[in-house]
Amino acid sequence: MKIEGTHELHASPQRVFEALTDPIVLQRCIPGCERLERSGENSYAATLRAGVGSIKGVFTGAVRLEDVQPPRHFRMIVEGKGQPGFVKGSGDLDIEARDAVTIVSYKGDIQVGGTIAGVGQRMLQGAVKMMASQFFTAIEAEAKTESHEPPPKHGFFRTALRWFSGLVRRVFRKTVTK
Amino acid sequence: MIPAQFDYLTPKTIDEAVGMLAQHSDDAKVLAGGHSLIPAMKLRLAMPQVLIDIGRIKDLAYIREEGGQIRIGAMTTHYQLESSDRLREICPLLPECSAHIGDVQVRNKGTIGGSLAHSDPAGDWPAAIIAIGAELVAVSAGGERTIKATDFFVDMLTTALEPGEILREIRIATPSGKFGQSYMKVAQPASGFAVVGVAVNLTLDASGACQTIGVGITGVASKVYRASAVEQVLTGRALDGQTVTDAAAHATDGVSVNGDLYASEAYRRHLAQVYTRRAIEAAASRAR
Repeated sequence: MKIEGTHELHASPQRVFEALTDPIVLQRCIPGCERLERSGENSYAATLRAGVGSIKGVFTGAVRLEDVQPPRHFRMIVEGKGQPGFVKGSGDLDIEARDAVTIVSYKGDIQVGGTIAGVGQRMLQGAVKMMASQFFTAIEAEAKTESHEPPPKHGFFRTALRWFSGLVRRVFRKTVTK
Repeated sequence: MIPAQFDYLTPKTIDEAVGMLAQHSDDAKVLAGGHSLIPAMKLRLAMPQVLIDIGRIKDLAYIREEGGQIRIGAMTTHYQLESSDRLREICPLLPECSAHIGDVQVRNKGTIGGSLAHSDPAGDWPAAIIAIGAELVAVSAGGERTIKATDFFVDMLTTALEPGEILREIRIATPSGKFGQSYMKVAQPASGFAVVGVAVNLTLDASGACQTIGVGITGVASKVYRASAVEQVLTGRALDGQTVTDAAAHATDGVSVNGDLYASEAYRRHLAQVYTRRAIEAAASRAR
């Protein structure tokens, strides 16, 4: 399955890049991430309780970063498996400053197999989009704080609220520019 | 397959049920008709530790008329809605929509409340409920609250229900005036779920122009949505062929359309436009 998306973040590219490559920040931002540890240079071991609604599964796996060019690009390779199935994939992530915001775009190809792919195929793309927007909303909140400040709190409702206020802001801006 | 181990609770009243839910909150799931939750549990995609079966609570399955509203109990089965002669007369969208759900076995056991609370992105009820502008009554240990249909569906498999809340009733303003309704669906041949499903509820004024219109679309995006752009184009206009076709072209405006192995994003977008047009035409012809 091909995945791609663009997210607009109100933070500097440097801070966004730092947040996206910091395992401590990532653990806080990836929905359902229970463990993310460094296992070597640019590689990490992770445990994820991922899912939507009541459909959830525990995945364990590894994440590796390649072609790291701070603060604008890296390539991510993910491999994970769990009781509901397996996930394997890779993708490129680009960070670009545009006007006052930072545009993060990702493009990749993931393979999903096992039960989750067999019965949940029709929901996969939606689930990926949902988790990606939760993730980038949390990353944006992290990147907005300075490095010495305490980290923001993430929870479903806080994340949903941030997502919603972002939406209102975008709608409002569209109305103004018309 | 066999589900993971769970505790099974059978409250006899709704108060008892919300009490149990408050006690177990995150570990518990409410079991209604069981035609989404049980299959997920058998595949071990859902593994709740506690199952609260609200099927033994009396007086949760009903269709009543009260104060200008149709009130439907959450445990009313799809079949009860499909076969109600009274509904066919006063709100035919509901029987029409239920007839499209799964197969006879599913409709005999599955419930409207269960379907709405599960919020499958391709479920049929959410489209109808959005089009008709229903209100949903949720009950928790803290009391009751009413949620508008448009606010209820938050995202894929996610609703505005809080962890301690149970959906108790669906309230619909009884349609009046020159109204017409329709539900049109392309079903996935294997699962029966909507590849695209469009529900329309409209009223015409004395001159035959569209007075109000609600369009709910399911199966296309991560959650059901109200096609506001289509509604805006049509409100106040005569529903002639070209006007409806032009309006239906806006069926997926501002929506992130999903694709899967069966139907690509482009194909779904196309189907949404075609079925929106057909559903509006059918509803308009019934209103005359």
